[in-house]
Amino acid sequence: MTERLILILATLVLALIGLLPVAAMLKETLIADGSFSLDAYRALLASDGQFAVLVGHSLQLSFLTAVISTLIGVPLGVLLGKTDLPLRGALTLLFTAPLLVPSYVLAVAWFSILGRTGLLGRVLPDAWSQEISSAFFGLFGCTFVLVTAFMPIAMLLTIAFLRTVNPRLENAGRLVSGWPRILLRITLPLMAPAIVFAAVLTFLLSLGEIGVPMYLRFPVYPVETLTQFAAFYDFRAATVAAAPLLLVTLIILGFQTGLHKRVLELGRRTPNGQVVVVALGPWRLPLFLLVLALAIVVVATPLGALVVQSSSLEIYKVALFRAGDSVLRSLAFAATSATLLAVLGFFLGYLSERRTLPIWWANEWLALLLLALPGSVIGIGLISLWNTKATSFIYASPAILVLGYVAQYAILPMRVVAASLGTIPRSLEQAARLSGAGWFMTLREIVAPLAGRGLIAAWLIGYVFSLRDIAISMVVYPPGSDTLPIRILTLMANGAPSLVAVLCIILIAITLLPLGVAGLWLKVGAKRP
Amino acid sequence: MLKWPVLAAAAFAVIAFAVWRLLPGGQSPTVVVYVSHDQVFSEPILKDFENETGIKVRAVYDTEETKSTGTMNRLIAEKNNPQADVYWANEPIRAEVLRQQGIAAPYISPNAEGIAGSFKDPNGYWTGFAARARVLIVNKNAGAKPDSLLAYADPQWRGKTVIANPLFGTTTTEIAALFVLWGDERAQAFMSALKANGIKLSPSNGDSADLVAAGEFAFSLVDSDDVVSRMRQHQPIDLVYPDQGADGLGCFLVPNAVVLIAQAPHPDVGKKLIDYLLSKETEAKLARSDAAQIPLHSGVDGPPKLLPIDKVKTTQVNYTEIAAKLQAIQPFLKRWVESGS
Amino acid sequence: MSAIEFRSVDKIYRGRRVIDSLSFMIEGGERIVLFGPSGCGKSTTLLLIAGLVAPDAGEIRIDGKVVSTVRRIQLAPQSRGIGMVFQDLALWPHMSVADNIGFGLRARRIAAAERLRRIGDIANLVGLGDYLQVLPGELSGGEQQRVALARALALEPRFLLMDEPLSNLDAALSRRLRGEILRLHAELGFTLVYVTHGREEAQEIGTRTIELAETGAL
Repeated sequence: MTERLILILATLVLALIGLLPVAAMLKETLIADGSFSLDAYRALLASDGQFAVLVGHSLQLSFLTAVISTLIGVPLGVLLGKTDLPLRGALTLLFTAPLLVPSYVLAVAWFSILGRTGLLGRVLPDAWSQEISSAFFGLFGCTFVLVTAFMPIAMLLTIAFLRTVNPRLENAGRLVSGWPRILLRITLPLMAPAIVFAAVLTFLLSLGEIGVPMYLRFPVYPVETLTQFAAFYDFRAATVAAAPLLLVTLIILGFQTGLHKRVLELGRRTPNGQVVVVALGPWRLPLFLLVLALAIVVVATPLGALVVQSSSLEIYKVALFRAGDSVLRSLAFAATSATLLAVLGFFLGYLSERRTLPIWWANEWLALLLLALPGSVIGIGLISLWNTKATSFIYASPAILVLGYVAQYAILPMRVVAASLGTIPRSLEQAARLSGAGWFMTLREIVAPLAGRGLIAAWLIGYVFSLRDIAISMVVYPPGSDTLPIRILTLMANGAPSLVAVLCIILIAITLLPLGVAGLWLKVGAKRP
Repeated sequence: MLKWPVLAAAAFAVIAFAVWRLLPGGQSPTVVVYVSHDQVFSEPILKDFENETGIKVRAVYDTEETKSTGTMNRLIAEKNNPQADVYWANEPIRAEVLRQQGIAAPYISPNAEGIAGSFKDPNGYWTGFAARARVLIVNKNAGAKPDSLLAYADPQWRGKTVIANPLFGTTTTEIAALFVLWGDERAQAFMSALKANGIKLSPSNGDSADLVAAGEFAFSLVDSDDVVSRMRQHQPIDLVYPDQGADGLGCFLVPNAVVLIAQAPHPDVGKKLIDYLLSKETEAKLARSDAAQIPLHSGVDGPPKLLPIDKVKTTQVNYTEIAAKLQAIQPFLKRWVESGS
Repeated sequence: MSAIEFRSVDKIYRGRRVIDSLSFMIEGGERIVLFGPSGCGKSTTLLLIAGLVAPDAGEIRIDGKVVSTVRRIQLAPQSRGIGMVFQDLALWPHMSVADNIGFGLRARRIAAAERLRRIGDIANLVGLGDYLQVLPGELSGGEQQRVALARALALEPRFLLMDEPLSNLDAALSRRLRGEILRLHAELGFTLVYVTHGREEAQEIGTRTIELAETGAL
């Protein structure tokens, strides 16, 4: 009874936080002059010419970004999560850094390198630098920047989900084959749901991306929503404009669910997710150099461009002064949001994995749709729902930001927790129940400790995404309580590039801090099974 | 098994304390202002107001329009329960939109005296101050220097020009002004000529300025503060005041505008802030700053790198007409933007 | 009145009828062996007795009272007086032997002193008195089996369910442990329901055999 109640409550929380604001916006799109009307949707489809082109561009960009990010991120995740490559921890943190910077800032950083008068332009022949510069402004450049930004997602999810693979299955293969074949034929297929999820996540994040395509002059569909907000102040049209994104998400969700059903669940589950480490032998040094080269190209180069612009101590003082309380605020809001995301994600992930209620699938779909929705639509929905005299105490406080983050990012901790719970045999819970433990005691003493790594990962992923959020924060942050990414973006207008660069470095530092602490904690705790 | 709950409780306590500590205090008088003017320039002014009056300022700042939705949408969405007292717009069209939507309240500040009538609403729904000029930023290596907006349609500059997305910001305002001044037919023909001449779009005036400074393009129409800031960064660019000839349209001015929000939570302190923003001292500060804004009060020193307002031929416009025209041409501009460049 | 009774019980998993109209009675104190080929529903039968899953048809009674009906568990697992040794043992890897055994005692809020006494007694009973602070991962297969057995017996259950508990052990160890199970049964008097697919084991352990066909029927 308690279990059903709590899980239903968790579902209701997600519905209240996420669904209600969006439903309020969607309702407005179906009403014109007080009665039901599909005119807004007809107007969208009838808009001159460009609808199909823009949607096509968006799908192209998202597909390429997702595929390339996954093709690079997954092997990288395997190398960093499953082998004896040197400096794995440091490299993992390094590769994560671009994910933490607003992708628009990455585009500007890359422009300072690849633009005609950028770093490369100064050393290459003029014709070459012109070619590179022209190629940069368009699909190629957008894909390149977004891959550097989102590739860490595939990498991190691979590292996290490696623990869900039963090592006995790999060991059975090692009797007859070498590691490359085992990784390709056993490990990665078993991780297919995780890889697909990483690709889907990257696809959706790219699909909603506006800043980079606009800067690099590649017209994409989400600009439609932004245009309706920023140029027409038409909330109805802006929400309608989000509908194709939702449709694409539903199609992807259907594809993913179908794929999920076909993935075999082999072997017994492994409590606590031990990972068989692959000894690279003579390949250790060459692969290390390859990974290092990738780090230099993908991470060090754009971040280096930021650092180079921030080379004086004076600018750090100015930046810290300019950043003000926004640094602490960002930390506090993201940590609070991450904690709530981890708790909600735990119960929703439990429901999703154990399927104890018939509505388990509804949460998955709702959470994924919320991720796909433009943050600005969620933000305006939050205003329409919470900006009343009675709920002012929520709306006028940072709680509104936390609600927005939880609504948009709930799917992330949910999936991570579900994967972690998947490694815990149900018999462990059954044994606890038979012993007389209630559901809470079982969760507290059996499930949560065994899912500890998953919970930490869920917290961290919630922290990273809450911290880097701009779209929702921009719309609802309480006056005087801007976050650091907002401050970076607002200061970009006529702020000195060096100032913006330093603020980005501060943002990276405060994001990596808990990741580093968590990494150390997990290492120390690794002795216990 | 106490480790987990204790750790979780401790973490939450720390977080809760930090959040509580960071919440703006409720004791001193407070004014809430939404600001579309660049934070880099506006924040110091608001901090000065805080220090001089003891009134705490809680601000919401804007990004450039193409990076996110911002303060205007928030003001419109909050219409039924306003959170803001004052809106500091970076151009008067937004202020006009607020007036039309019933979100502005009339207030005629004593400091509005001395500001020309064309820069304020006659009933006090908005008042202009500290203007930018719409100028051409030209790369020093471009060769010849353009001297008119019409250069955008001149074949000698084919494929070498860029403009900020005309759906947003001051570019929209100026194009709407052209529609008012030239009429729809001529203005639409001009826009078509721009496309035919290979004009490129950038997300914002700032990005346009950077692209010209980087040599990607020869020139662009931007705001004067964009040019001044790149000059101060010693970028290889020049500033040109367009259309200064006898038959020329003149240089389009875009003043900031300040609005008192209808049903504001703190209207009295809101009025104090408006008075402060409209003062000569504030205009002088904005002129001296990197914002390089042109004072609308006479007798206030202008930005050093810009000509004083009486030395520049300016476009004669009615901002209320421009606001109405702007909303009418938005669908045309959207089609123009989407038709590819 | 029989201790455990199945009346026309069906169980369906993912469209497949794992148990088909199963009916039987078990008297108190018996040693019953559930015997049959792999996949015939033996483990599922144990889960149904324990109340960890509900039947899709029929009813299950304990001491004459209905405890499970169609898709409803009317008497919670922890109230049925059942101890179970799972097929994968289900030992909690992060808890010591003592904590594994004492978990149920803690759940029932048995006082600490009494709890420690009972843990010590049951550990000695199964020969694990020297291993109380060890983690299960550090024990051998046979020792892990005994921890699972001790945990199941810690609450003095009326019914002990064992799901192929000796399948991973060598013949000698398996024989020894079978002897211990019989000894404990004689000493403690619980009703034993034991699942195996080995005939020799079935004959040694059980006083009676319930043989399930591949279809999940008797």
